[in-house]
Amino acid sequence: MRRFLVLLVVVSLGITFAGTAAAQGEEKVLVVGLSEDYKSLDPSRAYEPGGSLIHVSVYDTLVTFPSDSVGEILPNLAASWDISDDGLVYTFTLRDDVVFSNGDPLTAEDVVFSFNRMKNLKGNPSFLADTIASVEATDDLTFVMTLNQPDPAILAKLIFDAFSVLNADEVRANGGTDAPDAAETDTAEPWLMNHSAGTGPYIVESYEPTVQTVLVRNPNYWGEPAYFDRIIIRNLPETSTQKLALEAGDIDIAMDVIADQVPSFESNPDIEVFSTQSDTLIFLLCNQDPAIGGPVSNPLVQKAIRYAVNYEELRFLSGKGANNPAAMVPIGFGGALDPSEGLTRDLDMARSLLAEAGYPNGFEINFEYPDWNYIGTDFGIVAQKVQADLAEVGIKATLVPQEFQTSLDAYRSGRQGFSLWLWNPDYQDTLDYVEFLPGGVVGNRANWTDANADPEILALRDAVKVETDAATRNELFREIQLYEQEKGPFVPLFQPGVHFAFRSDLQGFNYNSQWRVDLTLLYR
Amino acid sequence: MSLHQFLARRLVLMIPLLIGISLVAFIISNAIPADPTAANLGERAAADPKIVAAFREKWGLDEPLHVQYLTYLSNLLKGDMGTSIRSRRPVSEELGRFLPATIELATFGILVSLVAGVIFGVISAVWRNRPIDFIVRILSLIGVSAPVFWLALIGLILLYLRWDLVPGPGRLDPKLRPPPGVTGLYTVDSLLAGDWRTLRNALEHLILPSLVLGAYSAGLITRITRSSMLEVLSMEYMTTARSKGLREWTVITRHGLRNALMPVVTIIGLSYGNLLSGAVLTETIFAWEGIGRYAYNAARTLDFPVLMGVSMLIAIIFVLMNLIVDILYYWLDPRLRQA
Amino acid sequence: MKPGNSRWRIIRRRARQNPLMVVGLLVCLAWVLISLGADHLAPADPLRQSVMERLQAPSAKYPFGTDQLGRDVLSRVLYGGRTSLPAGLLVIVSATFVGTLFGALAGYVGGLWDELLMRFTEIFMAFPIIILAMAIAAALGPSVNNAVIAMSIVWWPNYARVVRSLVISVKSNEYVTSARAIGASPARILFVTVLPNCLAPALVMATLDIGNAILIFAGLSFLGLGPEPSSPEWGRMVSDGIDHYDQWWLSTFPGIAIFTVVMALNFVGDGLRDLADPRTRKAVR
Repeated sequence: MRRFLVLLVVVSLGITFAGTAAAQGEEKVLVVGLSEDYKSLDPSRAYEPGGSLIHVSVYDTLVTFPSDSVGEILPNLAASWDISDDGLVYTFTLRDDVVFSNGDPLTAEDVVFSFNRMKNLKGNPSFLADTIASVEATDDLTFVMTLNQPDPAILAKLIFDAFSVLNADEVRANGGTDAPDAAETDTAEPWLMNHSAGTGPYIVESYEPTVQTVLVRNPNYWGEPAYFDRIIIRNLPETSTQKLALEAGDIDIAMDVIADQVPSFESNPDIEVFSTQSDTLIFLLCNQDPAIGGPVSNPLVQKAIRYAVNYEELRFLSGKGANNPAAMVPIGFGGALDPSEGLTRDLDMARSLLAEAGYPNGFEINFEYPDWNYIGTDFGIVAQKVQADLAEVGIKATLVPQEFQTSLDAYRSGRQGFSLWLWNPDYQDTLDYVEFLPGGVVGNRANWTDANADPEILALRDAVKVETDAATRNELFREIQLYEQEKGPFVPLFQPGVHFAFRSDLQGFNYNSQWRVDLTLLYR
Repeated sequence: MSLHQFLARRLVLMIPLLIGISLVAFIISNAIPADPTAANLGERAAADPKIVAAFREKWGLDEPLHVQYLTYLSNLLKGDMGTSIRSRRPVSEELGRFLPATIELATFGILVSLVAGVIFGVISAVWRNRPIDFIVRILSLIGVSAPVFWLALIGLILLYLRWDLVPGPGRLDPKLRPPPGVTGLYTVDSLLAGDWRTLRNALEHLILPSLVLGAYSAGLITRITRSSMLEVLSMEYMTTARSKGLREWTVITRHGLRNALMPVVTIIGLSYGNLLSGAVLTETIFAWEGIGRYAYNAARTLDFPVLMGVSMLIAIIFVLMNLIVDILYYWLDPRLRQA
Repeated sequence: MKPGNSRWRIIRRRARQNPLMVVGLLVCLAWVLISLGADHLAPADPLRQSVMERLQAPSAKYPFGTDQLGRDVLSRVLYGGRTSLPAGLLVIVSATFVGTLFGALAGYVGGLWDELLMRFTEIFMAFPIIILAMAIAAALGPSVNNAVIAMSIVWWPNYARVVRSLVISVKSNEYVTSARAIGASPARILFVTVLPNCLAPALVMATLDIGNAILIFAGLSFLGLGPEPSSPEWGRMVSDGIDHYDQWWLSTFPGIAIFTVVMALNFVGDGLRDLADPRTRKAVR
């Protein structure tokens, strides 16, 4: 007992003096608060916005964007490239000074391995490689990519982190393969969740799902070393927790600031806010398959819903920086309709459309959505708003909140009847919004296929995919969007503003809509 | 009955109990209607029958249910609790990582509730029907009536946000690195490492969550201590002790409290369940990386190997807690030894 | 002197002895009346949104402020009891019913059945209520009904154990032995002679437990495993406040509602226990 008391005294003395004895020469740590949305850190499998934040710090792609815009394509691992006259063969010359984090030099073989593995894993981002027919390494630093059709967006696609270049030897040693049956035989994912095999300024030190991801500086980085020794990405699912933690200085950046919090941050001298228009589109999906969608598979009902939603209030709800795109192409993309051409709420129109569809008294429907928050959009709140709007025309929607991954998987496999979702562009070109058309990625999720779609929209889709003339392209996109206002299984709700808050001593903040923030450029 | 016989009997009885628990956990996990196949392969992969078949074979989803259960049991005996579908890591490894956080929180919660409960209970019994008794009784009722998640929120708003008396959510300030993991308990590990700064920070982070978590048990223990104290105070040996001329306070603490603590021991065993329920809610609000939060996430993601692992672990802890209570009883109560 | 007078006097005397129970009864009654009369009492429709007036602090127009969608928090709090109170009650009623049935059978029949049932209930007692309920609610899908079902599944073994031990102790009483001697059927003995003598303690336990059930239900609802998000339910409303610490009124008022109901129920339960058995004031639950 006495010994215990002595210990207690020693401990409490220790605690008292500890404050003054704060360690010197401490390592420089950047702490990021993020609502974690990724379940894989294998760049060839991951397909979530939060993952991009990490991959852009850990891996490199052949080409890239400037840190603050997506308007220009810059060399990265590839020092230069040539495009054949028919637009089918791309020849990249790699930089000769690049090494992986384990010291191995980068070769064209690594690029071949990474591209093939990504395609053959048949993961969520694999469709980005659909236009790539073959890849080969003609020598150590020359990488040749052949397309099966001209693809004006291919360079923009290559910037997506699914095309990250991995160290082939290291990944192979840990169970990776780029063979055609990689989807069944590749076992590198668990290793890649706790390690990395890239050329970026950081390496993955550890990943504890739902807790945190820790990056440490890559000692073998070939470029300018980054300022911070360590980056900790903390999973803070509640925006309020992020706000508290930022105010207390516990984190340096809050990635999920909601518009409601902006005024309070702006009045705080220790904190700076960065606000801009996002290119995220929040929309409703109505499944075209009557067995899944029920009443919402009816085109008249779909149109009625487009007239029942209160766009103006949704925009207000979303807060500063939000906007209402007129159709499924967000404002800011070439060929997008002007917001003034957008739909406005018309309850009488909605009611008469419902009556025409055979539902004069409305109907009941389950309304599914992922229970999460993305760049300040609380899906639960938006869903409740939509529910109230629909109730006014007699549509009784029962909210079915789902855990994010569960909901995402149901959505991706086309099993949701009526749901609320978001779309972030895969690459920075309006062509990405062809995915909302029949047979496209999102079109398929609504079971909108070549078989059940109007020939009119199929013709427009096929034309715009290969059109290279900018003016004709914009005209085609315009027609597509006008069609989307009339028909089709989607309802464009709004395009939220995006807000980030960070401690004012943090320098070098940058934003581009592809990966949001390049953490490697920050310093204090 | 000797202690050995007593223990042996209890341990034998644990076996059917643990088998039953694993069976219930297994049934609940498999009652989940969601198909883990679609949930864990992307849409493109899920459309490929070869990939789907490989996945189902890997996770044993094609076997009949009873075979799946027997496989699970035999793996369990080898210490293999399966692999989390979500994180693709061994469940036992993850449990090992999350358990210390909960143990640390629960221990401090129990300490808070024991100290507060016993002190309040004694005060209340000694000054029975005085104003202080009335106040203590109301306080204890508040403790058992306030929703723990609400206390947590109000506590954060007032103590952290408004008055800045305690740190925010989490086990440590995000900037600090956890101490080298020996036990996983940050307080113990930082003490072992001699890292006073981390120790202080970890203790500060424990204040509010353990107060919130301990509130319910504190109310409960106050009530038990009070009533059992009242009973003991009226016993003859108390009068005897007083007549020996001992000071009143000595009588109360030496003779009264010691005898009054028996039911308190029971209640600690019982309130453990409440504490873990509270831990789920407390951990969710305080971003505490413990078993409760882990179980909550697993339930939401329908990660059934994890759900089963957590259920088994918690049940085993519960059974062990009861065993300890029984042993304490055996020591405290001579009558049991003769039975 | 009319007999009614003396009864009133007893009640008044009891009330004076136990003022907390009276307060508790009054608060419970008030909440029941509020829930029943919410249509008339609430200043607004609890579901009506006015987005342009969202997140307003308490004012004369909105005494408890408005939430993220501009709904009147006061009205939602007043309507909240309509979900929480019946849910808590329903869990206890079904748990008492099922628990009494199985407990009485086990206690009365004894032998292998008794052993089996006790082992079975032990399994359920080994899981913390909320984790098991969470798993069940997640498996069935979140809704009020499923939360109630999940909680009842977890709850009844408690009652089975208590009723079993009560039945065993009543069974050995003289009047039971004599009923058996005059040839009453076992069913008659169990349901007419034994069970009624066990009911009072079981009911006291049930009353004490309603508050607990309401707390756990609110907890499930807080975690999103209860009613639909838009429905005015207290636990759910507290969770709305999580993203808005600056708007303290979002979580404070519904929290106070849960707290007052549960506290009042605890007052009543404590009082009932004292009335039922003034000697044993041991609170072993």
